Amino acid sequence: MAEKNNMEEAPKGISRRSAIKGVIAAGAVSSSGAYLFRTSTVRAQQSAAGSVERLVTLNVNGQQRRVDVMKQETLNTTLRYKLGLTGSKLGCDRSECGACTVLIDDVPHYSCSILTHTTRGKNIVSIEGLEANGKLHPVQQGVVDEQGFQCAFCMPGFVMATVGFLKVNPSPTRAELAHGVSGNLCRCQDYDKILTALMKGAENLRKVS
Amino acid sequence: MAIIRDIMPAFELFQPATVGDALGLLDQHGSDAWVLAGGLDSFDWLKDRIKRPKVVIDLSQIAELRGVKEVNGGLEIGAMTTLTEVVRNPIVKEKFSILATGAELAASPQIRNQGTIGGNVSQDARCWYYRGGWKCYRAGGNICFADTPTAVNREHAILHADRCVAVNPSDSAPALIALEAQMVIRNAKGERVVNAEDYFVGPAIDITHMTVLKPGDLLTAIRIPATWAGAQFYFEKVRDRQVWDFPLMNVASAMVVNGGNIEKIRVVINAAAATPLRLTAVEDAVRGQPRNTATGEMAGKLAIVGAEPLRYNGYKLPLMRNLVKRAISGVEEPKWA
Amino acid sequence: MPAKTTPNDSPHRLVGKNYQTPDLVAKVTGRAKYAEDYRVDGMLFARLLLSPMAHARIRSIDASEALAMPGVKGILTADDLPAPADAITDQGVVIPANKLGDRGLTNEPMYQGEPILAVCAVDELTCAEAIEKIKIDYERLPHVVDPLVSLRPGGPNARVQGNVWMRPAAPPAEPGKPPLPPPPAQVAELKWTEEDFAAAKDGQMPMGKPAEEWSFGDWEAGLKSADLVLDETFVSPNTSHQPLETRTTMAYWQNGKVYVHTGTQSTAQTVPAIARWLGLLDEKKQPDLTKVVVISEYTGGGFGSKITGAISAVIPCLLSKKVGAPVMMRISREEEHFIGRARPSVHGRTRVGFTKDGRITAIDMYTICDNGSYDAQGDGMTAGRMASLMYQPPAMRMRGVSVITNTSPRVSQSQPGGFQGIVVMEPILSKAARKLGIDPVQIHKINSPEGKAEIGPPVRGKRPYITSSFIREALDRGQELFRWDARKAQVKRSGTKVRGIGVATSCFVGGSIGFDGLFVIKPDGKMYVQSGIGNLGTESVHDCNRVAAEMLGMPWDKVEIAWGSSTKNLPWACPSGGSQTTHAMTRAAYITATDAIQKLQQIAAKDLGGKPDDYVVANERVSRKGGGAGMSLAQAAKRAIELGGIYDGHELPKGINKMTATSATALAGQGLLAVARDTMPRDGLTHSFVAGFAEVEVDLETGKYFIKDYLAVADVGTVLHPHALGGQVLGRSVLGIGHALGQKWVYDQHYGIPLAKRFHHNRPPTILDVPSNMQWDAVNIPDPETPIGARGIGEPPVGAGCMAILNALSDALGDDVFRRAPVMADSILASLEAGHPMEEGLTAHI
Repeated sequence: MAEKNNMEEAPKGISRRSAIKGVIAAGAVSSSGAYLFRTSTVRAQQSAAGSVERLVTLNVNGQQRRVDVMKQETLNTTLRYKLGLTGSKLGCDRSECGACTVLIDDVPHYSCSILTHTTRGKNIVSIEGLEANGKLHPVQQGVVDEQGFQCAFCMPGFVMATVGFLKVNPSPTRAELAHGVSGNLCRCQDYDKILTALMKGAENLRKVS
Repeated sequence: MAIIRDIMPAFELFQPATVGDALGLLDQHGSDAWVLAGGLDSFDWLKDRIKRPKVVIDLSQIAELRGVKEVNGGLEIGAMTTLTEVVRNPIVKEKFSILATGAELAASPQIRNQGTIGGNVSQDARCWYYRGGWKCYRAGGNICFADTPTAVNREHAILHADRCVAVNPSDSAPALIALEAQMVIRNAKGERVVNAEDYFVGPAIDITHMTVLKPGDLLTAIRIPATWAGAQFYFEKVRDRQVWDFPLMNVASAMVVNGGNIEKIRVVINAAAATPLRLTAVEDAVRGQPRNTATGEMAGKLAIVGAEPLRYNGYKLPLMRNLVKRAISGVEEPKWA
Repeated sequence: MPAKTTPNDSPHRLVGKNYQTPDLVAKVTGRAKYAEDYRVDGMLFARLLLSPMAHARIRSIDASEALAMPGVKGILTADDLPAPADAITDQGVVIPANKLGDRGLTNEPMYQGEPILAVCAVDELTCAEAIEKIKIDYERLPHVVDPLVSLRPGGPNARVQGNVWMRPAAPPAEPGKPPLPPPPAQVAELKWTEEDFAAAKDGQMPMGKPAEEWSFGDWEAGLKSADLVLDETFVSPNTSHQPLETRTTMAYWQNGKVYVHTGTQSTAQTVPAIARWLGLLDEKKQPDLTKVVVISEYTGGGFGSKITGAISAVIPCLLSKKVGAPVMMRISREEEHFIGRARPSVHGRTRVGFTKDGRITAIDMYTICDNGSYDAQGDGMTAGRMASLMYQPPAMRMRGVSVITNTSPRVSQSQPGGFQGIVVMEPILSKAARKLGIDPVQIHKINSPEGKAEIGPPVRGKRPYITSSFIREALDRGQELFRWDARKAQVKRSGTKVRGIGVATSCFVGGSIGFDGLFVIKPDGKMYVQSGIGNLGTESVHDCNRVAAEMLGMPWDKVEIAWGSSTKNLPWACPSGGSQTTHAMTRAAYITATDAIQKLQQIAAKDLGGKPDDYVVANERVSRKGGGAGMSLAQAAKRAIELGGIYDGHELPKGINKMTATSATALAGQGLLAVARDTMPRDGLTHSFVAGFAEVEVDLETGKYFIKDYLAVADVGTVLHPHALGGQVLGRSVLGIGHALGQKWVYDQHYGIPLAKRFHHNRPPTILDVPSNMQWDAVNIPDPETPIGARGIGEPPVGAGCMAILNALSDALGDDVFRRAPVMADSILASLEAGHPMEEGLTAHI
């Protein structure tokens, strides 16, 4: 790893030391194969300002994960094909459906439309990271309480969008929550039941926090 | 070459931490470089493999490009400030609410969480022929596919078309023009400041670009003067879906009314032409007039003088007329009782 | 709106009650694996090369440069595909393969975006770069994307063989023998005359020679005697199914079997489908079920587009065989637009006669179906069949033609044909109500079916009839819940806004029969149910089994359901589609539970004396009526194993499906095995109904309208699972509402190329396009022709959803503002401005 200009540690001041500790804690560099991406055809200029290394450390669901990331790789690809986190779905790959929604520093993002390299040093939470101590997140529990959703391919995205929205507005009206999750598309389309389930989730969350 | 979509070509990525580094990279790579702001517009081009830059310069790590500062009663908004940050900013809300309204109507929550104000005003046209990779004027060819006898052009231009009939789809741009915003542009040689209404270029001037930005240029900030703080604002966007849809048309106005008469006004419409249009003739005609329905109707009719519909976008004439009317005299809300 | 009423006051223990389905926690935690979530060692990737032209013939393919690239493992072209295989029924009747059908890859692309070849490589980037190096020499062929353009004299044909599907009449039956099935549809050329086109006045659909026709009653006299005759043209849109999960498939071979991870609406039926597509046939030319394993525990939506999976699944299967490694073929959203199937548009022109009281005297309907490039679509003619049921005309003529176009393939989408029939008819009912001064709810009631109402043309001299209809009760319930009368009295216009209310009724097939059930009660006292239904989230895969558990007095927490993989010994089941499942599979569950009860009674009688009839099954026990001796189901299961034979599945009943028999054999000896085929009688054809009610508000200055309220009331027989039913009723209502608000295809006719491929182009509804509170209810009256009384519901809400909205819109705006769906701001505004419909009524794909 080049010491100089190592952008991996720059954005949020995570020190190299803590990054290394994280690596040790998480075990090893993720090496689940070269699915989808291989070496860049353009030669990297390691000495230039702002140049980017392929081996990066990501903070995913509270764990430091060391992973080999292509320059053009999206976060969704890294999660699904490098880190084994297939809960974030890919519905359109064009930031139109929201099935891939994850939280980055608590804010909902389409993981299909952000470069993994852009997320270095940030806290990434995917649907797999919501459960705590073997218990469902209150929003997940709301879905279970109301038997919400049908095919559920959109569900992880809706749940993540809701969790993110509730951090800003913990007591939304139905209409406000609808706006909060309006970046997510459901094709089974019982939006009424979805809202009921997510409102129940908001209520569950208020009870525990 | 056979066409395949939905896999981004490989590129070299730079994530500079300062504007200086970014400008150095832009200078070094010239037209090989692609500037990535939020990326929501860029990734379409890249994933479609239509645009294949050798180098992508991602601005996401440059802290100095992000944030809203109060300056002399006005604002300076870093170009990389997200639309959500703009929408939630208390000063924007209090003094320049028209910008919050416009920005909040753009795209979807996740896009606003990542998409930037600089990206929103600099985004490319959404004509489905052009975006589909058809080799049209805007793509450097010599035909406009959206203006042939079989073209489907419901969302295209009714004003100032010149070979290309694409429109500018930005929702924040008309609000910024109404607020007399200025765009701060930097390159390796220095800085220049351009009025928001002059930031956009139509096909008559440059058919392959939407803005005045040239290779090496970076939009770094948007300045909003104190001039229109707390004025009467109107913003309306008409779209097919209530989220994640580009405007069929949008309108923005800023107005100072004194004794029932319009003292000062700026009116801007977008998705009617390749650039957001400031309607100066309308502004001149209504200045000094009472703010009422008659003035609004007069303004609406004046606004569409010279408009030329294509086969499928004739509705944009009454739409523009009515939106301009509403931007001046307001909308009569129903009283269902 | 009143608070939502859900029919959760069921007298049953399980049926009619809400419960947590066994798949829900996996879904909400992201642990549920859909096809693209599987990884296998050595997995390679495949990508498709798509046709850039609407119609062409491939002269040559040069892939040499691509194949020489490092990382490229192989290529698959149409030449590598097995020939289409004939089907042979159990009775030995040969159903010849459609030689003109979609095979997955082609040397004569029929539409822009059709897959020509696939490249397999170590990663997708290599696939893409290899595809860009492939040179194809195309011979451009004539193309057409608009059915009416193709029907014009001298108009282009979409296929070399012609432009329409023609169904030759069935040959006359030999005396004493069953009638022969009609021969398969053939492609032929059909052109109308200049006079046919000239006869249509502005906006009216021209009508030339049809390809199909039927009638009943004296429709001419009916129209002649009518007090009011309306002659209306209305066009429904082409809409992609757009399941959120694309038809991504991963496949590999092990020990001569192909393992296929894919999405499907039927785990059971996808096995023979894939076997047939791959040419894996046994010595009797039947699909070899032992060669294919289908894994599909979770499917991300289908709506009719994945009934037996997708034919594109053969590509990774064959590539995997060719390169000797697992192959994942992800399908992008744009590729899904091309190959993911769509509902065909229907142009309809209908003359309807009414008495002054609003009763229909006759219907004369003509439909042109935009068939797309491949298999014959029946939507156009089904439209008439469903109209004949929904509006009960005493006489009717139905004519239609299904025109082949160089557009993406069509297939059944929720309420196929029924939807288009409702869309074509409802504007007429709505207009007639205004012209005759009759309340819209009333005119629907006057013309609605009741009881064993007739449907369609006569079959062997007699019109068929349905099992039951309680749509009038649904209309009454809706009228009250929606406060229809109060809303009717509301002020209609204020400011720039005008509002309107609308009602629409809708119907479709609500169930099939003849499928199998299979479960084992094991000595641990638990019930292990095998379910071959696909898991689309409609929950029928689980819900139907509640019937068997209820009948056996089995607590739900002692019921384990196996589903989602053909390795799990599944019975032959109907797909989760066509609103068949709840009806078909509750019947299968009922007959199988009956089999179990009989076996339990026999075991008890053997061990404890008396006759089997002396015993009853309840509370996990089989015991003597009125108290006394008995045994637990656990004990009985143990005894079943000891007894063997029919009791533990070593001896199986005749008549069950081959797949069921194989599965039952595999499960034999593990407990009391219950297996049966539904051979129960049914008098009539099962259909379900929905009444939809809507209020809309239109802004006259922008043309934008918003749905203020929506209510759907279903007549779906006994309610099986309220939460799941609500999901179906409102979910499919919104599917229909999307057809009203903005979903459609757009093509440039000159180039024959689709423009609206992205979600923001073809506009499926978002959560903000519908009210944040929608309502549903069900009349909950059992169907008399099925033991549980439950019918299916996936289809009928679609038409009701679309047309309640559009009827409300015409209530707000008056007649003749729009004449096709969807209705968007542009057409409303332009028409209001001009004072007459401004949108081109008949041009396809605008």
